[in-house]
Amino acid sequence: MTERRPVPISEEVARAIETHLEDLGASSLEEAVEAILRERLRAAGHLPPYSPEEEKAVEEHLRALGYLD
Amino acid sequence: MRRLALIGLDCVDPALLQGLLPDLPTLSELVAGGTFSRLRSVDPPITIPAWMCMMTGKDPGELGVYGFRNRADRSYTALRVASSASFSAPAIWDSLGEKGLRSILIGVPGTYPARPIHGLLVSDFLAPGMDSDFAYPASLRDRVRSLVDEYRFDVRDFRKKGKEQVLEEACTMTRKRVELARALLADEKWDLFAMVEIAPDRVHHALWADHDPAHPRHDPRGPFRDGLRTYYQLLDKELASLLSDLPGGTQVLVVSDHGAQPLRGGIALNEWLLRKGYLALKEEPLTGARMEDLIKREKVDWPRTLAWGEGGYYGRVFLNVVGREPQGAIPPERYKALRQEIARGLEGIPDDEGRAIGTRVLLPEDLYREVNGIPPDLLVYFGDLSYRSIGSLGHAAVQTQGNDTGADEANHAPYGIFLAHPGVEGTGDRSLLDVKGYVLRHFDLKEEG
Repeated sequence: MTERRPVPISEEVARAIETHLEDLGASSLEEAVEAILRERLRAAGHLPPYSPEEEKAVEEHLRALGYLD
Repeated sequence: MRRLALIGLDCVDPALLQGLLPDLPTLSELVAGGTFSRLRSVDPPITIPAWMCMMTGKDPGELGVYGFRNRADRSYTALRVASSASFSAPAIWDSLGEKGLRSILIGVPGTYPARPIHGLLVSDFLAPGMDSDFAYPASLRDRVRSLVDEYRFDVRDFRKKGKEQVLEEACTMTRKRVELARALLADEKWDLFAMVEIAPDRVHHALWADHDPAHPRHDPRGPFRDGLRTYYQLLDKELASLLSDLPGGTQVLVVSDHGAQPLRGGIALNEWLLRKGYLALKEEPLTGARMEDLIKREKVDWPRTLAWGEGGYYGRVFLNVVGREPQGAIPPERYKALRQEIARGLEGIPDDEGRAIGTRVLLPEDLYREVNGIPPDLLVYFGDLSYRSIGSLGHAAVQTQGNDTGADEANHAPYGIFLAHPGVEGTGDRSLLDVKGYVLRHFDLKEEG
């Protein structure tokens, strides 16, 4: 989540998001766009819950806790 | 509408809690003025899937989630960590949200990555860190950081820490979780508050032998003999502050997903399968070789392998069936008989002195109302869960003294706790699967289906 890529969006959509930031549960335009896209992608199964590195780290944590062997 | 606060305490055992009550004034008061009973967990009684079974009212078979990792397909390597995406059945907060009722959720296992709800969600210890999608709405991430200094999802590097550090971290984690809860409850509108504290489980696994005279490694003069009690006293004090913030008339539920018991040893599941000829390897395994690594390194002779297993707090056995697995070795017509044969063999494994240990082997179709996803062919409770299932190979014997992933003093037990204040109808043991229905009825809603 650290690397970013600029993607232009229309002024109309940007203004609509900025007007409704609170409803969207975001504190900035960038945060709202990211959250909306993530939700859509996750719901469609196009964005896995973990990156490969995250999944490996979570498995190691679960192994250390004794849940996995 | 009266609000409801569901406080989940992972792994809290009814007998343990009753024994500690004289030192726990807050929980004692709840018990004295409410309803206290045992809560039968699901099979397997493991954090994932148990909490989401409670929250959805669905059993593991209906959810298609049988543990922290599940087979994504019939190949030998596709094991995936369960996440919020694994649970499609509506949870309590989904049902409430449809009626416009708001929820605040903190730490409920199975809620990472955070999905939209009507309310706020801070997900659980499966969150990979503070930069992850652990909160809904997204703006809540920064708020958590600003409300609580160094919020903790879990005890990190659990096996590398000494008992003193585990105890210290568990206490800190609980304080911070309650601090966050109190801040959100004070600032937000809510109808349902649901929080799960994972720390009791970590303390049990680290300190059970120090506390329990029935544990084979108990030392009554050990330096940590009061460690578990110390944690519970801290927890009780934190609960007092949390409960004091709740509006008058709030219905309180304190529940756990399973109980705990002494861990007496281990049974090396794959070692047994290998020695009995059910598992075939291309070369002799090194001491402590992990099954998963052997599969990835293509060291398993699949055409000659009938079954393989996974370790953990319970054992899972998968059969290698022709037409089902990629290199199946069991003709479908032999499946049932062979499964029974392996089950009987596992049940007969004795302890290292030849005594019976009471292993139970369960079949998914006998346990669940539906069987979805890819279940294990056998669920194995060695010593009725008083022995760990050791998945690694290369052991001198099938029976092991310890755990292959580090020191461990407790295993799970099938009964957790149900504590309601004010008291509720009914006596005797309850089922974890009935908690959702109870909460919905509290809000005058009917359970779906």
